[in-house]
This record gives sequence, C-alpha cells and structure tokens, in this order.
Amino acid sequence: MTEAIFEKLKKTIIDGDTKAAVQATQDAIKNNVPIKEILSNGLISGIRIVGELFNKGEFFLPELISGGKAMQAALEEINPLLQNLEKNDSYIPGRFLIGTVKGDMHDIGKLIVVMMLKSNRWEVTDLGIDIPPEQFCNAIKEGNFDIVGMSCLLTMTMPQAAMTIKALEEAGLRKRIKIMVGGAPVTQEAAYKMGADGYGENAWEAVTVGEQLLIQIRKERMKI
Amino acid sequence: MSSMTGAERILTVLKLKEPDTVPHTELLIERNIINAILPNASYEDFVNHMGLDGLLVFDKISAWKFEIINQTEQIKKDQWGGLIRFSEAAALGISVGTAFRSPEEVNLKNYVVPDPDEEWRYNKLRDIVKRFKGDKAIIAQVYDGFNIIQESLLTHFEFFPAMKNNPEIIDELTEMVGNYNLKYIKNCIEVGADVVFVSGDYAMTHGPMVSRVHTSRFLTPMLKKIVDLCHSLNTPVIKHSDGNITKIIDLIVDTGIDGLHPIDVIAGMDIEKVKNEYGNKICIMGNVNVGTTLPTGTIEDVRQEVKDCIRKAGVGGGYICSSSNIIHSGVKPENYIAMVKAIREFGKYPLSF
Repeated sequence: MTEAIFEKLKKTIIDGDTKAAVQATQDAIKNNVPIKEILSNGLISGIRIVGELFNKGEFFLPELISGGKAMQAALEEINPLLQNLEKNDSYIPGRFLIGTVKGDMHDIGKLIVVMMLKSNRWEVTDLGIDIPPEQFCNAIKEGNFDIVGMSCLLTMTMPQAAMTIKALEEAGLRKRIKIMVGGAPVTQEAAYKMGADGYGENAWEAVTVGEQLLIQIRKERMKI
Repeated sequence: MSSMTGAERILTVLKLKEPDTVPHTELLIERNIINAILPNASYEDFVNHMGLDGLLVFDKISAWKFEIINQTEQIKKDQWGGLIRFSEAAALGISVGTAFRSPEEVNLKNYVVPDPDEEWRYNKLRDIVKRFKGDKAIIAQVYDGFNIIQESLLTHFEFFPAMKNNPEIIDELTEMVGNYNLKYIKNCIEVGADVVFVSGDYAMTHGPMVSRVHTSRFLTPMLKKIVDLCHSLNTPVIKHSDGNITKIIDLIVDTGIDGLHPIDVIAGMDIEKVKNEYGNKICIMGNVNVGTTLPTGTIEDVRQEVKDCIRKAGVGGGYICSSSNIIHSGVKPENYIAMVKAIREFGKYPLSF
C-alpha cells in the first residue's frame, strides 16, 4: 500500500503533473504516511529521476521545469507539517546563496538552478542579477551560507566571477564558504582556474555538486 | 577570377560554391570594439572600414516598436508586450517581464498584433540598401517565434511546461508570431534584403532545450515556412542557434535552410564534423572562438584558429568565417583586426592547405 503511494508520488513528479502531485501528496497525508517518507521515498525520489534524465539528455527543459513546478506545489502542501516535525529534529538543510555576476542580466539559467535546489530541500537566497562583488560579500557576512553560486551567461562577464572570488578572499570570507560557478561560457577548467570549488554544467549538476560540497563542508566544520 | 563584391561572395558560398575568397561578416559587433578601432564610427561606416562582406539589419533594433516604461531602469515595453531591460552589457536587452503571466491568461481575441506592413519598420533597411546594395550582402535578421514567445509573451517557466501541458496555446502563439514574421520577411526582401537570418536559440551548452519530438512539433515547421517563402523569392536563409545542437541538427537542416550559424565551439560543436556531415547541404558560418581565443588569445592564436576553421570548413566553398557568436565587448579589438586580416590572408581560393 505505502509502496504504491510512493510510486504514485514519484510518477506525478516525473510526469510534471502539478495537480496530480498536489492530490497525491494530500492523499498520502490523509493515509497517515509519515511526512518524511512522503518526501524522501516519493517526491524527492521523483525529482532526482527528473534531474538524472535531464542530465542524460533524455529529458529537456519542458520536462525539467514541469517536474520542478510539480515538486514545488507538492512541497507547499507538506512544508508546514515538515517544519513542525523538524523543530525537534536534527535535519539541517544546505544554505545556498546565488546571484548572476555584475554586468550580466541573465536570469533563466539561475532560476532553473534555484528551482532544482529548492526541490531538493536547499534553503536558497537569490540575490538576483547584475550583482557586484561587494553585494555577494555583504550577503555572506550577514547570512549563514554553505555555498555561494555565481552565474554568468556572457563570456565577457566571466571575469566578474573571478573578481568576486578575489573580493571574498580580501574580505576574509573565502574560508567560510564553498564557491560554485556556472553558466553557458563557463567550463570546469575555467571554474577551477578562477578559484571555485565546484562547477555544474547544468541545473542538475549544480544540485549534485552542491550536495558533494555540502558533505565536504560539514566534515571540515566537524574537524574544527 | 576577378574580385567579387561582398554580396557576390556571400551569395556564392550560400549556393555552396567557391568564391574568390572566404567571406566574413558578423551577427553583431559591440560598440566598444567599434570605438576602439574607429572611434565614434557608425555601425555601417565601421563595417565598410573593416571590409566586411555583409551587414545584418536587426528587426528588434530597427523595426520593432518600443514604449518607455522606466527611464531610470532603462525598461521598455516591446511591441509584443514584453518588458525589456536595456544596458551597456546587453545592447539587445534582457527580458524582465512578459505580456501574459500564464498560458491560461493567453487570450488573443483582445490582443493587438503588431502590424508588419507599417512603412517605418523598413526605413533603416532602405538606407542600408541604398548605400550597400550589390556591394555587401544585406542580411535581414529576424527573431523566431520560439524566441519571442519566451522573451516577450510567456516566461520561460510558463512557456516550456506549456509545450507539454498546453500545446495548443504554444501552437496559437507560434502561428501569430510566425505570420507576423512571414509578412515582415517578405517586405524585407521586397525592400532589398539579399539574405534572411533567423535568430532564436534551440539549444544550451548541455544540448537542445526541447526534445526532438517538441522540436519537430513547435520549432521546425515555422522555420520551414520561412525557408519556403524565402526560396520562393530566391532568397537564402541562415539559421542561428547557440548551444550544442548535435541531437537536432538533422531536423534543422531538413527544413531546407541554406546556412547555419554559429557552430558554437564553446558548447562543443565540431565544425569539421558539421562540414563532413552537412557540407553538401548547408553553408557553415562561424566557429572562431569568442569564449577564449578572441578575448584572451594572442594574435598568433587568432591567426591559427582562423586558418584551422578555413581548412576544416572552407573546402569547396560553403563557409562564411565569423566568430562563434558576436564580437562582444570582451573581445580584444586587436584580435578582431587580426581575425579579419587572417581571413583575407588564408581564405583565398584555391585554398593552399
């Protein structure tokens, strides 16, 4: 019975069917399926399949965005219940700060990354577009983030990501955070060369690389 | 062979024949590059000065109607109802709002479609024709429905899911924009355009934005209508798409296009492979790397890359040498000069390598 509910939840996300995802989530809640299992065995399993299929080139933007939208609608149903549950729980979501670098007005790639991160239970703060280095620095000083992601769609704005990393170093903030860079002109080689810790070729890689970095961060923090 | 004009060169390679020398033109050259090479020159004077073989006339720049919404933020409403923010970094603007918030909101009964027959839209093109006809290829650029719908009519977050969930809305919008474009293109050709250039990216670095099924359903039918119209008026068509289009390139070529731009090297497109597989069907345009070589390479790097591109794609004609996108503001001006010189040096037919 529970297995069938999980399969149904998964399928609604893979199908990108928002209405069905909301309905399946409400049904699972009514059937007293534990909230955390609805999330991990159903919805998150579904969105991970969507991401992996996108990464493999079997899904495309219509399927990826539909899956993300269905996931977010389902999360709205369970988030209030989940928050109550997590008050006495040890779960700590990853905290991701993101923005498009100075001089670059492009939004779409970043917004898809935000959607996929949120769908995988990251807390995301989106600074927006055309963000100068000092604004990234101020946000990191004031907030409590694990990762900062910089998006650049234009070749000519790529140096701004390097300048932001330099600004973080000069402000003494570099060790506090892991850095990811992405966007059409960015390659893995270019990202590491400018001092980033991670690079995602697409929105799903941004999630999986972010997860790897989060594990690394938590291990490092435990040592301290 | 006596020296050809730029127009003759470009029209010759679009027929997959050998010209006297490999032609060169660019989709766009940013203002700071122009000013660095020929301070304060008009775009047309600069193109003339550099000896480019063709000149693109952008529909959005010269033939779209805009209404100022916020002067300080440089936000304008375009003729489709989309909000566009202009800046020095984005001369063509970036979408910050769309006419409809969701597919459910789309109601074309009360929507005023722009009129492509308004005379003023062709003023710029007429000036270009008057000055350059016969000398340079006059290329009318047009954004396709796939681009206009995402940028001006529905947000990306509504548009892409609607392909799956509300396909009839996407059909309706595609037809509306397509009909405008068909009339606009016909008028451009009547005014004197030699070539039509269709913008609208089908792919990202990672691969196509939509599946082959969706490409065949929503993208290529309207492109084919444009191609058929242009061919009925003896005018070749170049299709542009950034990104890695390997998985759908056959569908694009099957529409009957005459040229393909920009063979996006940053996204992993291999010009030699495209030439080998499709060089008997289409002219290739582009591939000189605007991600690395032109912004950060040496003059010798640029010369070597131009030579490589001509060696790989120039055999038998069918190649317009240009950058792998636009000459953006990060390109070194001296590298652009070196690129133009190298095309003239290495591009003479018969090729010597």
